[in-house]
Amino acid sequence: MFYPEPTAITGLGCISAAGLDLDTALVNMFAGKRNPQPPTKFTTEHQVASLVLELSDELKLPLDEEEEIYSRTCQLALVAAQQALTDAGWDSESLRGKRVGVCLGTTVGCALNCDDFYRTYKDEGDDVPDMGIMSRFLRSNPAAVVAQQLKLDGPVQTVVNACSSGTDAIGIGAGWLRAGACDIVIAGGTDELLRLTYSGFSSLMITAPEPCKPFDVNRKGLNLGEGAGVVILESAELSKAKQKRGYLRGYGSACDAYHLTAPHPEGTGLKRAIFEALAAAQLNATDIAFINAHGTGTPDNDRVESRVMKAVFPGKPFGSTKGFTGHTLGAAGGIEAVFTIACLQRGEIPASIGFSTADPECPAEPVKVNTAISGSNALSESLAFGGNNAVLIFAKGEC
Amino acid sequence: MRMAIQGVGITGAFGTGVDALRTALQTGQVPAENKTAENGYQAPVDKLVDFIPKRALRRIDHFSKMTLLSASLAIQDAKLETADRSRMGVVIATGYGTLQTTFKFLDSYLDYGYACSSPTHFSNSVHNAAAAHVSMQMQATAPSLTVTQFEMSVASALLSAQQWLAEGRVDQVLFGAVDESCEVLHYCRNQFFGAGEQGPIQPFAFDKQSAVAGEGATFLLLTADSEAAPYGFIDSVQMGNHTVSPLQLSNDELFIIGADGHRQCSSWYPQAVSDSNAVAYAPLYGSFLAAAGFDLAVAAVSQRDETIYLCPESSGSVGLLPTQKLTSQPLSCLKFDGGGNYGLIRLSR
Repeated sequence: MFYPEPTAITGLGCISAAGLDLDTALVNMFAGKRNPQPPTKFTTEHQVASLVLELSDELKLPLDEEEEIYSRTCQLALVAAQQALTDAGWDSESLRGKRVGVCLGTTVGCALNCDDFYRTYKDEGDDVPDMGIMSRFLRSNPAAVVAQQLKLDGPVQTVVNACSSGTDAIGIGAGWLRAGACDIVIAGGTDELLRLTYSGFSSLMITAPEPCKPFDVNRKGLNLGEGAGVVILESAELSKAKQKRGYLRGYGSACDAYHLTAPHPEGTGLKRAIFEALAAAQLNATDIAFINAHGTGTPDNDRVESRVMKAVFPGKPFGSTKGFTGHTLGAAGGIEAVFTIACLQRGEIPASIGFSTADPECPAEPVKVNTAISGSNALSESLAFGGNNAVLIFAKGEC
Repeated sequence: MRMAIQGVGITGAFGTGVDALRTALQTGQVPAENKTAENGYQAPVDKLVDFIPKRALRRIDHFSKMTLLSASLAIQDAKLETADRSRMGVVIATGYGTLQTTFKFLDSYLDYGYACSSPTHFSNSVHNAAAAHVSMQMQATAPSLTVTQFEMSVASALLSAQQWLAEGRVDQVLFGAVDESCEVLHYCRNQFFGAGEQGPIQPFAFDKQSAVAGEGATFLLLTADSEAAPYGFIDSVQMGNHTVSPLQLSNDELFIIGADGHRQCSSWYPQAVSDSNAVAYAPLYGSFLAAAGFDLAVAAVSQRDETIYLCPESSGSVGLLPTQKLTSQPLSCLKFDGGGNYGLIRLSR
């Protein structure tokens, strides 16, 4: 299967601990700046705090007065979607009458984050559980909230494929355009930092008490993060007269069917996803200029990814941006898609921060310094709980 | 591109398997043993050991057991037990994911402290855990997708299944709709709806809150258009918002509507369809977000049987359609959420 023509990407929006917009994030990443710290927005009793990458307090949520109405995850999606729409030259008025789909990935956004409700529910005292918490959950489906706030009419989907959700959402959204289901798709990923996921990942003993070091021999695990990344995909007809930010050329996904939380040691699903994306794009591995790796900093992920990198893309520059953003789970694929497109345009990728010493078990090494790249195509990949693997291939745009 | 329905697997309050569903459609009854003390519906999973050894099920929760059982039944029904599944995709629609395990995970740290958070419960509480169990047990290595869109989960997920088949990414899709009930859900529903949770469900009493929590899992084994389609075809899947672009439907169509006794969602149906050409079966499986998948399974069975079954007795319809032969009249499934969003799935024989 190949795509008859690449899908136009006309707008980018991105909010992460690296920066509250794409330009700021790029400046910080190329300057090697990051700010991991213990969580400040919630407390736990873990003896050793794992570090996280939180969004700057300067962040202004679009529906501040309605914070109790929608989850933070939904609000982050709205921020990134608005940035991307503005970048693409759209606003809610000009979208009226268009068939606009919304496809967003999340992990936390659909989890029942109801500690405070549930604690009271379990307590046999006189306090009554706050049903407002549950009402808010029921209003907070990320894709539905974006569609509702922008008064859109079209397909709506929230992908919950764990850490590959954002990548899958962009690939699925592009499929809607090819199928003629809509003319524009707002696609990407969004997730907030929560005590629930913080405790969950801590229980799996894959979080690091120090800044994460993807692919480094001394890596201790991942740092969680939060944010959202969104791209605007447009039909050929609608985008004809526009300069494009980039193009989506291929998407592939496959399941390891091996283990609930560990990738297949040989990366069978990841390889299959890569080759499916290459086939869709009608490209060879040699046509890829660089790879934005999933690169979480966990022993298993980095070992497998590095092996696949060596086998499929020997000598190609690659790096992980999770040292700057933290692992933003369902948002990661969206944020990293935006970074990949922007780096293609810039002709340069940032140093894979945290990496200094090669691991003998990782046969391929990420870039240690900001690195110039040549070529027009780049690949972004995501690996996830459940053995999911998803890959996107982007081509350079005109602006 | 239309999709051929090759097999159906299902477990719900009416029992396990297509025959149990057909019996419920014929009698309008749900076995008493599958009603809970809270007046809810529960889905049996005891037949799962016919497919997967008990030992392999030790750490698998109720949600994933319902999922695995229905997926196994669909594969059996489609006669693909021994087939190569390397090009079989898995798509699951769920409104809430695994509720019971989510609360067990919260129990682990609320009861014993954060340092005692359970890694097993956490990893099984992730929404795509059930899809992962299906992929692992079936060795289905093609793409896997889990979608959560509340009432719209089924229509939204089905769009992706259709896209995969249309583009030749997979040869088959194991398409499922799953949701489970739990004590906390019953508590919340009672808080929100009060005595309405006492039932019985009256889908056609559109202005009355009569929903009762249900649960279950159903899977359809789908392929691209094919001459062989024992349960007929899914012709198209459409999503939209009735307030932005009002849905225009023909009076010649017959609809299985997703009305399940939720007043806010049900208020949209009379605006779009007449109850003289609509049927609803929520009294057989209860009210839950992924129940649109059960409506679709009923549509598939109706097509196979060439019969539209009488609505269950408590449906509250003024002019109930009698059990009748399904002729050339097109059959569709329609589901609304409370905000006027709709999913419309058109089928054909």
